[in-house]
Parts: sequence; structure tokens; C-alpha cells
Amino acid sequence: MLAQNIAAVVCRNESWTGACATEPYECGWAREAIVFVRALKAPSLPPGTVARVQVSPDGMHWADEGTTLALPQAAAELRFARVTHFGGWLRLVAELPEGAGITLLVTLHLKE
Amino acid sequence: MTGMDAATLRRALRDADPALSRFDPLPRIVFCDDFDRGFCGWTQLVGNYEDTLDSMLPSYAQHTQPMLSTLPNWDSGSHHGLDGGYVLKVQSRARKGSRNTAIKRLTFRKAGPIRLEFYFTFKPEATELRLSETDVRSFGFLYDLQSGDQAAGGERVMPHFRFLNALDGQHLQKWQFKQALQPAKDLGTEGKTATHDHLSPEGWEDLPGGAQKLCYNEIATKVNWHYACFDFDLSTWRATGLRINDRPLDVSAFQPMRMPAWRNLWCMLNIVFFVETDADKRAFLALDGVCLSGDF
Repeated sequence: MLAQNIAAVVCRNESWTGACATEPYECGWAREAIVFVRALKAPSLPPGTVARVQVSPDGMHWADEGTTLALPQAAAELRFARVTHFGGWLRLVAELPEGAGITLLVTLHLKE
Repeated sequence: MTGMDAATLRRALRDADPALSRFDPLPRIVFCDDFDRGFCGWTQLVGNYEDTLDSMLPSYAQHTQPMLSTLPNWDSGSHHGLDGGYVLKVQSRARKGSRNTAIKRLTFRKAGPIRLEFYFTFKPEATELRLSETDVRSFGFLYDLQSGDQAAGGERVMPHFRFLNALDGQHLQKWQFKQALQPAKDLGTEGKTATHDHLSPEGWEDLPGGAQKLCYNEIATKVNWHYACFDFDLSTWRATGLRINDRPLDVSAFQPMRMPAWRNLWCMLNIVFFVETDADKRAFLALDGVCLSGDF
């Protein structure tokens, strides 16, 4: 039996401003994940704006996992972060400064 | 083995297999999905679009990916499935009226009787220390079907059922169906793609005799598995049976949505499960075992 390996689209064409998060994704069966973030339109972000990977025991209470990811600065630009040993749940969050925004596609690529 | 006909042998073999004996399939099992084997082809129902994702209807844009879940609870840990560790979970967003779906797409080999059986449970996210029994608005299932390209008078046919658990806080607990067509909208400029929100809130009708109290249990983190069996005939586009747990429901008044065939969907047999929340908290529908069988 081959190991599970899936692509989960957890945020598609959503425009983020202020405090934002992807929907919680339960993936405790996976041992590793890559979070890909692609800007679908030209973002308006200060250089160095980051998103943070968070973990949760229950899908409701969240803590920073420690991994950060610099958000794309141009349309079609792709960024990613690797995560392992994350327990049962993953999400990506960001707090964008006033006037900043990005329309993005976020996918989790998960492997057993 | 003299004197045993094929049907008896098939039944004996099925009954000896615990994974199959919980179903009553028609002679040919098309698939029997156990989510300990992964997603088994169940994915998110993405809305149609052309040129830009902005053309997707908002009601589809909200859909996200189903999950392989252990049904973990903050107070009692993982609930797990009916059989094995994992279930397929479809979860709405935390916004009243939000819905989410899971879909499996195939085509049919013979326009005849088919049977969909599944074990399910549903619950709101346990964000409050309350029973929360009216926080899930509804869950349901549908087929998206189209006749073969050689069939006379080609049609797209969509049988829809939902269990309306609650609406605006009222605990209604009844099965409904939907035959009302929603307006189709062309997408883009090439004349090849269209969309319609067939799961919209309008047009649902009560199934006569369809009031049913399902086991919800005593707190928001306890779930019980339920059995459903839906019979439909692809040759007549008629529902021939619906059974939920111990209750056979009368489907004589049921009608599916019917419309002229769409251009790219011949012999389509899609199955969709969906859930809607009635509160600003997530609602989920979980499945552990889905079996599609046919008489061919």
C-alpha cells in the first residue's frame, strides 16, 4: 500500500486584510506538510510581511508552531514552508497592517 | 458446493465479511469506501469558473477540502469511526448559513437501479459547554446525473435530500427534497461553461411523513452513527426507496430536479454530501463507510 499523499486547498481566492486565517485542517494522519502560498493578484504588502503556521489540540484553540513564511510580493509568486511533528491540526494565519492586502491560494501538501 | 446458486453464494461471502455485511448492496458493488484507506476519491466540490476564479458563485467559493478525521474532541479525545480510526469529515465555516460539501465523481455503466448506503453522524463544533442541538442547520446528499449521449431526450437529473435539523434556532428534524430549479448562469465568453447553485436555501419541500428524531446524544462531543440507504432508478429517474436507521420513508411524493442535458456531462454519476450550519460556529457531517451498488 502506498503512503497517503494529498493536496488540500484550504484557501482559494480569498482576499486577506487585517487578521486572517485559513480554515482549520485536521491532518493528524500526516507526518509532514508543505504549505504553499501563491498570490492570485498583485498584493499590496510591506516587504517582509509574514504568515505563521499554527497548531491546535482541537481545531479551536491555536498556538504558533514556530514556522513563518514571507508572503508573496507579486502576482503569481509562490512561497512555501515545511512543517513536521504538528499533531492533529494545521492552519496559516497572518496579521496584515492597515491598508495591506493579498488575494491568495493556500494549499497543504501532506504525506504519511 | 452443489445446489448453491450464485446469489446465495454471493450473499454468504458478503455476510462473512464484517466490512461488507453492514451493507445491503445490490448485486454489483461499484465501490465500498472505508476511510481508513484514505479519501477514496472524495474531494471538494469546486465551483465552475472561466478566465478568473472571481466568476465562481460565492456559495461555491466557500467550499473547502474534506478531511480524514479521528473526530477529536477537546474533552474526551478522538471518537474514531464506526470501523477503524478515520472518517471522512465535511466541515462548514463558522458563519451562520455556511455550507460545505464532499463529492465523488464517476459515470454509470447501465441506466438501471442503483443503491447508495452510508453511515453518518453530524455535530456542531464544541465551542460552548451547551447541548447545541440546533446549531447544525442541515446535512444531506444528492446525485448529479445525466443520461447517456445516445439516449432520446437527454436530461440532467439531480435528486436532492436533506435532513433539516434546525432553522433559525427552531428544532425541526425532518427530511426534505428539492425539485425546484435554480437559474443557470453562463460563465466567461466561450459559451462552454455555466453554473447553478442547486444547493441554495430556496425551494426545499417537506417529504410527507419525513419527520424523524435522530440520536444526537447528551453533549456536543458525543456522536452516534446512523445508517442511510437510498434507492434510485437511472432508467426511470425515479426514487424507489429511502431508509434511515429503522425507518423506511415514503418517497412516492419525491421528485428530483430535471433539466435538459448540459453539454459535457454524459452518463455522469456524481454523489455529493453536504452540511450547513445554523449558528456562527462550524458544523460537520462525518461519514464512515459509503457503498454504491447497482443491478447490473
